[in-house]
Amino acid sequence: MSTVDYTRELSVLEGKPPLRELDDLISKPLETKPNRKFFIALSITLSMTALLVIGLGLTFYYGIGMWGNNIPVGWAWDITNFVFWIGIGHAGTLISAILFLFRQKWRTGIARFAEGMTIFAVMTAGLFPLIHVGRPWLAGYLFPYPSQNSIWVNFTSPLLWDVFAVSTYLTVSLIFWYVGLIPDLATLREKTTNKIKKIIYSVTSLGWRFSNRHWQHYEMVYLILAGFATPLVLSVHTIVSFDFAVSVIPGWHSTIFPPYFVAGAVFSGFAMVQNVLIIVRKIFNYEHIITVDTLEKMNKVMLLTGSMVGYAYAMEFFIAWYGGVEAERFTFLNRALGPYAWAYWIMVTCNVVSPQLFWIKKIRRSIKTMFVIAIFVNIGMWFERFVIIVSSLSRDFLPSSWHHYTPTYVDGMILIGSFGFFFTWILLFAKALPVVSMAEVKAVVEGSQPSHKDH
Amino acid sequence: MDDYSKLSNNKLWKSLKEFHNEDDVLKMKHDEFLDGVTDEFDSSKLSGISRRKFFALLSASAALTATACTNYRDKGEIIPYNKRPEEILPGAANYYASTCNGCSLSCGILIKTREGRPIKVEGNPDHPVSRGKICAKGQASILDLYDPERLKAPYFNGKETSWKNVDSTVINILNETQKNGKQIAIVTDTIVSPTAKKVLDDFTAKYQNTKIYSYSLVNDFIRRQAWSECYGTDEYPAVKFDDANIILTLDADFLGNEGNYIENMRKYVSKREVVDKLNFNRLYAAEGRMSSTGMMADYRLKVAPSQQLNFVLGIIYELNKINPHLQLDKSISARLKKFSLLDSADGEKFKHLIKDLNDNRGKSIIYAGDSLSKDVHLAVNYLNEVLGNTILYDYKSSFKNIVKHSTKEEITSLINSMNQGKVGIIIHYESNPVYTMPKDFGYESALKNVKTVISLTVSENESSAYANYTLPTNHSFEAWGDAYAREGFYSLQQPVISPIFNSRQKESVLLSWISANPNSYQEDIYHQYLMKSFNSDVFVKANSLADAKTFWYSALHDGIVRKNGTRQITRFNNIVLNNIKEIIPGNNFIVHLTESYFVGDGRFANNGWLQELPHPVSKITWDNYASISPITAKQLNVQMNDFIEVSLDGRKLVLPALIQPGVHERTINIELGYGRTKAGEVGKNVGFNSVELMTKNWVYSPFLFENASIRKSEGSHKLVSTQEHHSLDDTFVKDFHYSRKIIQEGTLEKYIKEPNFLNEEKENLVSITNEIKYTGHKWAMAIDLNKCTGCSACISSCNVENNIAVVGKEQVERGREMQWIRIDRYYSGQPDNPIVSNQPMLCQHCDNAPCENVCPVNATNHSPDGLNQMVYNRCVGTRYCSNNCPYKVRRFNFFNHRDHFADAYYDNDLTSLMYNPEVTVRSRGVMEKCTFCVQKIMEARSNAIRDGKELKGSDVVTACQQACPTNAITFGDANDPASQIAKLRKHNLSYHVLEELNVKPNVTYIAKLRNTHSEEK
Repeated sequence: MSTVDYTRELSVLEGKPPLRELDDLISKPLETKPNRKFFIALSITLSMTALLVIGLGLTFYYGIGMWGNNIPVGWAWDITNFVFWIGIGHAGTLISAILFLFRQKWRTGIARFAEGMTIFAVMTAGLFPLIHVGRPWLAGYLFPYPSQNSIWVNFTSPLLWDVFAVSTYLTVSLIFWYVGLIPDLATLREKTTNKIKKIIYSVTSLGWRFSNRHWQHYEMVYLILAGFATPLVLSVHTIVSFDFAVSVIPGWHSTIFPPYFVAGAVFSGFAMVQNVLIIVRKIFNYEHIITVDTLEKMNKVMLLTGSMVGYAYAMEFFIAWYGGVEAERFTFLNRALGPYAWAYWIMVTCNVVSPQLFWIKKIRRSIKTMFVIAIFVNIGMWFERFVIIVSSLSRDFLPSSWHHYTPTYVDGMILIGSFGFFFTWILLFAKALPVVSMAEVKAVVEGSQPSHKDH
Repeated sequence: MDDYSKLSNNKLWKSLKEFHNEDDVLKMKHDEFLDGVTDEFDSSKLSGISRRKFFALLSASAALTATACTNYRDKGEIIPYNKRPEEILPGAANYYASTCNGCSLSCGILIKTREGRPIKVEGNPDHPVSRGKICAKGQASILDLYDPERLKAPYFNGKETSWKNVDSTVINILNETQKNGKQIAIVTDTIVSPTAKKVLDDFTAKYQNTKIYSYSLVNDFIRRQAWSECYGTDEYPAVKFDDANIILTLDADFLGNEGNYIENMRKYVSKREVVDKLNFNRLYAAEGRMSSTGMMADYRLKVAPSQQLNFVLGIIYELNKINPHLQLDKSISARLKKFSLLDSADGEKFKHLIKDLNDNRGKSIIYAGDSLSKDVHLAVNYLNEVLGNTILYDYKSSFKNIVKHSTKEEITSLINSMNQGKVGIIIHYESNPVYTMPKDFGYESALKNVKTVISLTVSENESSAYANYTLPTNHSFEAWGDAYAREGFYSLQQPVISPIFNSRQKESVLLSWISANPNSYQEDIYHQYLMKSFNSDVFVKANSLADAKTFWYSALHDGIVRKNGTRQITRFNNIVLNNIKEIIPGNNFIVHLTESYFVGDGRFANNGWLQELPHPVSKITWDNYASISPITAKQLNVQMNDFIEVSLDGRKLVLPALIQPGVHERTINIELGYGRTKAGEVGKNVGFNSVELMTKNWVYSPFLFENASIRKSEGSHKLVSTQEHHSLDDTFVKDFHYSRKIIQEGTLEKYIKEPNFLNEEKENLVSITNEIKYTGHKWAMAIDLNKCTGCSACISSCNVENNIAVVGKEQVERGREMQWIRIDRYYSGQPDNPIVSNQPMLCQHCDNAPCENVCPVNATNHSPDGLNQMVYNRCVGTRYCSNNCPYKVRRFNFFNHRDHFADAYYDNDLTSLMYNPEVTVRSRGVMEKCTFCVQKIMEARSNAIRDGKELKGSDVVTACQQACPTNAITFGDANDPASQIAKLRKHNLSYHVLEELNVKPNVTYIAKLRNTHSEEK
């Protein structure tokens, strides 16, 4: 093997495609009519979404009793799904904001898509706090609005912090995503011949004329927004983890939760982005834009965050033993050996063991294996939330109130439906907007930036 | 220029045409109105609607639209009293003294009514026996009044008919039957009412072919028989358990459901006192099943019910050995022998028992269960004689026997007559013999040979299914009555609501038939009869200075009239000892049938509240089962819920098994009262009918059968409990209640030595936040675990007081029961004979309540007087509060349970009348929990304000506290230093559950002391 020349920046893209070709390639899905495959895919995701609609219909009509939740397991798949989807939503902003600040150019190929996924994942996640309440028609009570009863929300409740954290995150992500889209929308405006599209692109591109001044402002806004979004990446899942950490229940009451949850969120988010991008690059022929190098870098992030999560699992056990609180010790033993041990070991296998395979370069660069491992990670991360929520609640302090949790078919419908909801948005997004940032990709084509070497 | 000139003409122009002054524009400007506008109109061409009519139509349609849009639902009308009845004050409850009809104990009750409708039953404090307490069944019996499936009209062969028709035809049939010389049979349940007995006597006098049969499924027939043989009377005395230092029960659940258990509990706990004085008895329970009494016992000895005779003889033998001065009858000393138990694991306990009995002669009592054989009762009566324990018999309060229970021979002859066609009429007088009689009597098939079957019943049952006439009777809250259950007092029952349906008092029905005139019925016919009878039997004998009317009203007000109990003490008849038949117990399984704790003999089967009350020991709801020991289960390779087949001489029953720690290896305990096939939507097909196992040809007793064989059967049936069954020997989850300090206990001896033993390890917890100071009242509760027997009266009372929903079996299985208070049961020790600890658990109203800070909408918060409040209107149902509750006492409305349970069975206009108007009926999606009966606090507060007094903690009595038969629950103001609650909170034995969480609960538990010997660990 030849030694890598570290003095030279590696090209993000493979080959040296002409800029015009990039524009055409990226905007191609937008300019062609949806084909049969697209409709098949859409019908599948819409059918899944229909399950969500039916499941929610049953829930709203009859009550939360349609789910498996009980006393003591007041939260189960509902909040598991919530935390899972919020976690998925963490990769996008991390890629677009944090990696941007760190000048990681490899992010350009995947940033747009990851951001889109963030928004859709947060939208999916946002469903759950609303639907998990017993009286969803009163969910407005969760917002601080002046009412004649002078009843205010309870600012000590982590659930309220969630409301703020998630809605802020969604807003900022949406703005960030939109700002990034503006130059591309202008490109599309220039390209399209369709009158209606032209009007839409003209309006949405906000009069972008690719002028130098525009670019200067754009870069500044993008930088500021990146700076603004960066703490959110950390804060949202920190606050979600407070839902558990602030409580008194053994298995929840733990100070390790914030970093552990953030790491887990990035972990699962990257896995999901990687999964979906592998499909996207194949279908849209973006192999040279979303390169194996990029995917490998994502796998490295997964390896890092997966190890952090594994460390957290171990540390939880250590602290449970070291802390000497009998109830907490039991909770952790019960996780590993009790009635939900199967879920625990699925979680450990998927989250701790499987990403360790990424130490091997071959696996890291093999599309097939990395795809499977990322699927495992997603399964494992769902189970992580399930284990934390259900196994802790089902056996807490008083053995007299212990009760097993079994999900119902409605729980299943809502889980499947949430995937349907998410992927419906993804499909529509892939057909309606450029899934790769044209402007940014063009900027990283070899030779597009002024360089003293070539002169 | 030209343009400019034009411009001056038209300074303003609207179009180029106008600007250029084109012709048509000029024309339009000229004609101010368009063509036709200014023409004269022809009125004949116009619409014929007049202006008035137009306005009328306009306003009518506007009104119609407005009405259609209002979403108007007829919510009924609320009309204030035009002329207020004298005794009713809207918003204030009235209490009427009456007598409970739930069983033959006839406890005194106070029925609470609001605006004329009964909403709660409480004990009558003036009642000399029950003293203001009633059991869980009595509390919940109010639901039967509002049962939507009550019979609403008389039926003749399934068709609705009128009472007048019924009366005239029945009177004809009665006369005809009388003429034909055929028998008129009245089958009744146990009768405690002397006046009802009089009515029956009158009936017999009128129709002389009448015979009365009294039969009840669960009875004390054998005890009475034995007593009668020993002492010449079947009216056995009450036992002064409160004077006994040593109590030995032989398969007698005297704290659960045998004898007058309300009275027994009160007397028993009077020697379980730790607060004011230290006063302890010692309870030994020798039993084969695991009963409520067994849970409470200081020493529990495992003795199979068939071995009880040998056990008693063994005790006499051992006593005789250590105390040769005992004067034993020859016939008994001849057959004494060592009891094998001495060599078993319980040998040590047996030795203690013998020593205690010997040391406490005259201060101990041996009490045999109703289901044991007569021989055991004879031997026990003798043993009590020998030990001089007869001074604990209270003859002044002996159990009356107004209508004797029919013997096997009487019932057999009735059935023979029925089969031979000699019975013309059968009247089921509020009884259900088709269900309650052993099947080998053949009652059910014999009924087909009776021409006229009449069922007088509140709601349909198995027997009324065969009836030609199904006649609705009044619920006891709609009926007059009296009771003479115990020597020493007489109690009255009065209606508190007029009959809701077209039903009649059962005595009135008979009275109108006695009169032989179908038009003679008057609504107060029995009322008058009762008053007359009262005058002659009670008033005359009372030698009262008051006149008859005043006396009657004062008796009605009090609910009882005291009488001087006659004290008849007869000598023990030694000859009976010769009758004791020794049966050498085999090694087969013994089936022991016992009454259900909550559905009784099946009469409460259609009562959802009672079906859903967890069994005091197993915590199973909505089912009965075969309770077998872990060893037996292992031998048979049976798991929990597996079907097993129990067969007894060809009688078979397949039912699920419950592995019950503590059950004797050869005993199978099954509860009676389940498996009703015709008991309404709620009660039908709940559990398994163990009457199938009964026979008329019993050897030991009607409830005890030897030579049972059991085998594993196909399939299983999910038994549903409110508490998971953790394997006792599973070290993974064993003894958590001790290690987590949920249950703290000690022995009496240890407490005497080190009164502060509980607090030695107590840590000083520091709060890092500023504690809220409660300066005014601070509500708190204390529960004395020495006194809690797990009887569940508190749960039942709370259900009624706080409008708790019934959720049904599937929802209990899912862990969604709604009861606000539960009784946790923990086992420790060995699975074959565990030590049991009970603990009522309810909202702890923590000062630092973890539920409060996590509610995002402030729906649960703290009141200035220390209550953890739930604001239902504000609750959106995140369930976060419940997740964060360390005690898991919050209950969530996963459904609108009233709508969801049994096809909205309890969601109807009738059942809604039962709700306590002071307590919100919670809808779905709302969290709820114990409120410390805040409505009662508010009531006491407004009373105090009205009277200008200071509100005292003792003014408030919570529903659970009111119901607790042992007064284990104390409630009050913790900030009042003189109050009992303040004292209890500072007591040496007081502790909080999960103290180390520093949530500062306001429910204090008083640790249980076990009165065992120090050698025992």
